[in-house]
Amino acid sequence: MAEWQDPHKLTEGEFLDQVHSFEFWFGTVEGYLHDRPYGFDAETEEIEMDDRRKDGLITTLCNYCIGETAALEASSGMIAFAPDRASKIFLSTQVADEGRHLEVLLHRLSMLGVRDPEREIEARANKSLLRFKERLLEFVDSRDWEAAVFAQNVILESLEFTVFRTHAQNADPITKQILQGIVIDERRHMGFGENDLGRRLILAPHTHDRLDRIKRELDSLVLTTFKQTLGELGLEGDEAPDLASDYLGAVARLGF
Amino acid sequence: MNDTLINQPAGEDRPRQMYVLEETGFKEVPKKFRRFYRKWGGPSDTLAPNEVLCPVCKIVIRSLQELRVGDKVYCMPCMSRLIVQEEGGRLVARVNY
Amino acid sequence: MTNFLSGYSIQKWLESCPQGYLEDTVYGHEAGEKEPEGLFDNELLREGQIRSTCNLVLGERAALAASSGLVNCAPDYKSKTFLATQTLDEARHVEIFTQRLFDLGVSPADLEDTLNEFGNPHLVKFAEVLLEKVDKGDFVAGVVGQNIVLEGMAFSVFEMLHAGAQEDNPKFAHTLSGTIADERRHVGFGENRIGALIKQYPEKKAECERMQAEMSGHMLATFASAFKEGEASNEEARRLQKEQGKESHAMYHGVDLAQADTAEMEAVLADTVLKEFKTRLGRIGLEYQSPIAA
Repeated sequence: MAEWQDPHKLTEGEFLDQVHSFEFWFGTVEGYLHDRPYGFDAETEEIEMDDRRKDGLITTLCNYCIGETAALEASSGMIAFAPDRASKIFLSTQVADEGRHLEVLLHRLSMLGVRDPEREIEARANKSLLRFKERLLEFVDSRDWEAAVFAQNVILESLEFTVFRTHAQNADPITKQILQGIVIDERRHMGFGENDLGRRLILAPHTHDRLDRIKRELDSLVLTTFKQTLGELGLEGDEAPDLASDYLGAVARLGF
Repeated sequence: MNDTLINQPAGEDRPRQMYVLEETGFKEVPKKFRRFYRKWGGPSDTLAPNEVLCPVCKIVIRSLQELRVGDKVYCMPCMSRLIVQEEGGRLVARVNY
Repeated sequence: MTNFLSGYSIQKWLESCPQGYLEDTVYGHEAGEKEPEGLFDNELLREGQIRSTCNLVLGERAALAASSGLVNCAPDYKSKTFLATQTLDEARHVEIFTQRLFDLGVSPADLEDTLNEFGNPHLVKFAEVLLEKVDKGDFVAGVVGQNIVLEGMAFSVFEMLHAGAQEDNPKFAHTLSGTIADERRHVGFGENRIGALIKQYPEKKAECERMQAEMSGHMLATFASAFKEGEASNEEARRLQKEQGKESHAMYHGVDLAQADTAEMEAVLADTVLKEFKTRLGRIGLEYQSPIAA
């Protein structure tokens, strides 16, 4: 078998079959998860953190767990009404990705001394994020593919993509590696959502207005959530990155 | 990123420059596709004529040949299909849904 | 519960599956392995393989729908993450068996028509009983149906197919051995997790037992028609072996699959699966029910 293959020579159908497959996912995660149990190099040493920083990190990670659980429950639920087999298979890789994210974040919480993560997550949950999760799962329960892909793979994933990348720049070495691994997965999820919706909006432009209403409803919930998250990380004022940039870029490409 | 040139440019209707791609340390796609992508170094990162930035996931897409307007490329890390266009005198990729 | 569930973590799954027995495989088998040449020269043999593979695809599609649906109603994070790995396992099975249909000459455009033509209607009914529980968000019945009944059946069917393919079709045998390794985790989770939940919710017992009886009935009907439909192709394979002077002995639970007639094969498979159900259900505190005739 050839050592390499030019991806740009594939036909569009071959490309989509390739990137939505388990085989592709398998070859991809092998590259960055090998020898990194629970998402980081086991040799990495924990740094000293004062109580305030540690507490802020725990609150942040608890809320990341809520986001990842929402994505896990939504992506698994979406398999049942995905429009084609390739999307079902892609979503199953996303389900495993989201499950892994949840697991590595829970593991990190236990490293930080959290004994009962389920209780801790409940106690530290951000209300806007819980409301977002509720809405997302309503879209899934009503088998509304466009709304679910938009809410999950465009809105939630692109905001997580930005927040995790930003957080990774300022995080302790262990959390940093965990977040960097998650960001790589988010690229696939985000790209799937944007490309799927982009194709649909061309074929059914009337969907645009409905999704625009959903966007306006959910924007504030997610932006509030992540603004608060950055506060917990001590990244406020001038230091705070432009959270909305990636998200706004994605929705602008989709015509919103 | 400087890949090895296979032939040199010669005038306006010159044939495209061809490149030999080496591994870039990028590991976020299956092995056989890895040399076609690399991480972006931020706004100060100068792209080679065979490279274009994916607007969706900010990964540099690489080709075996010099890219020109209208070329179709794929971003495997985020699964986007892209068309090369010119904007402000430089090549950019636009998502083709 | 926490300790036993740590054995079903995604980390463990990564180490044992993509970084373990699936490493260096392509669609579940070694790179370069092909279906035996003889299959393509004999339409009866090829059709027999397509027929059985269609039912594998349909079974795995049901398992994918069920395991993904169960993530949402799982009562704890660790069960959710395990079911996330199971969802991916099932999607992989759908993919590799679908790929086998392509390798056997089915064109992608004809895939759904081929599945409709060769898919066993009793298997569809078997899946419907399970998916009804999943749709209702019934985690206990859903896991009993999926991880004990469906997976228990799949486990034995794969083992039988594996025994039959080992000598004549290493490609298919390798594909199956990876799926068997996956099923081991799935049945293990089902038994261990549900054992605790049945103790917690004894009122669920009757409903789960009824479902097992119904599913078992559809399963037996599936076996009966599948073996009947496969009879001609089996006979043809034996005739060819005889003609070529080959002698093979593929043993499955004491039965020589190369010599036994289809009734014997059906009986040994049904007997093995039902005995397994009985043992597993007993261990988790459920009483095995005789199949309800479909």
